[in-house]
Amino acid sequence: MEKEEGIVVPGDFLGTSEEFTPGMGVYDETGNIYASVTGEISISDKRVIDVLPKVGTPPVPEEGDVVIGRIEDLRDAVAVVNIARVKGKDDRDVASSTQGIIHISNIKSGYVSELQREFGYLDLVKAKVLDAKALRLSTEGNDLGVIKAICGKCKGDLRKKGNTLTCDTCKRVEERKLSDDYGKGLV
Amino acid sequence: MKEGKIELIKDGARLSGRGFEELRPIKIEVGVLKRADGSCYFELGDNKAIAAVYGPREMHPRHFQNAKRAVVKYRYNMAPFSVDDRKRPGPDRRSQEISMVSRKALDPVILRELYPKTAIEVYVEVLQSDAGTRTAGINAASVALADAGIPMRDLVSSVAIGKIDGEVVLDLDAKEDNFGEADMPIAMVARTNTITLLQMDGRLKKEEFERGLKLAMNGCRKIYELQKAALVEKYSKNGNGA
Repeated sequence: MEKEEGIVVPGDFLGTSEEFTPGMGVYDETGNIYASVTGEISISDKRVIDVLPKVGTPPVPEEGDVVIGRIEDLRDAVAVVNIARVKGKDDRDVASSTQGIIHISNIKSGYVSELQREFGYLDLVKAKVLDAKALRLSTEGNDLGVIKAICGKCKGDLRKKGNTLTCDTCKRVEERKLSDDYGKGLV
Repeated sequence: MKEGKIELIKDGARLSGRGFEELRPIKIEVGVLKRADGSCYFELGDNKAIAAVYGPREMHPRHFQNAKRAVVKYRYNMAPFSVDDRKRPGPDRRSQEISMVSRKALDPVILRELYPKTAIEVYVEVLQSDAGTRTAGINAASVALADAGIPMRDLVSSVAIGKIDGEVVLDLDAKEDNFGEADMPIAMVARTNTITLLQMDGRLKKEEFERGLKLAMNGCRKIYELQKAALVEKYSKNGNGA
């Protein structure tokens, strides 16, 4: 890994495609490679040229990323999530479609008899991206799952008690696929 | 264009004291707005424009989405206090058309295909105007897009030329614009000499047009260097701007 001094801006000529393989933050036009973002040049051992951005770049959810979203719809086999943020890039809107989907088979490792027992309408969930193109998500794992939920009857706050949630106002008890971070306000 | 008897060129010099091929003083500040994804303040003489970029973010309403590329939204707006008489606030025919042509001036440099189904929003506010606000707006927007980290083929630079008292000159100010014979703003990609905006108000002879175009292209190259310098300066000193 080799770093070059100085900052390049979009449109700066970096080299030809005979010299380098274009990587991130660059583009190839008629055999010439130019920078497409503002940042520093980095050349790998395999002659891949990247521009490491110095500016904040638009966050696009990729496979393995953790995202935060809200349950918008519950169907028989899938929960529809409106993705708000990619974890670690909380200061910017997601630069892609925001509609993610959690299939019943990706909620947890155990058996799920009913989706309604794992998620509720308007729950905030933390999920991992399985497939970036179709935005298929998974909440398998202790840290993933619901991080905030409201009571299905009175919309009051639900508090975690053991493995279930209890409503502060009407004392109703609900079940969820909970994240370890439930109610902590942590992302 | 008002009919005027004002002498715009006295003893071979312009009223402002500038030469025929001289730009007004330029000031560029990058990242001036905290809550925008990218922003830029641009001064061209007495023109003051501020550009804010948001996104790419999901496009609403859905039917305006493009499944293959991002859609650019551009809003050029003049503040009510930006001109001598109060300007009636809000979009009008002039600002709507300027928004449209400015968007088309920036569209070809943005790598829009990387962010399908999203919108990139560019807001340009003119705080003070002295002829050539659309060019100031485009210059500001181009730097703001780079500041937002949106992948671009190149920066876009823009400047106007005009004809006053029979002479082709660079970068008209308000007096020269109002009492001159022609005004022609252009925007271009300095590296490739690709013109992305060219408008003309008034009349120019073929030779004058060609000379003006050459003048404007040289002006754009100068502005391009300043835009680049502003970005480099901003991001070489502090470790991570954003």
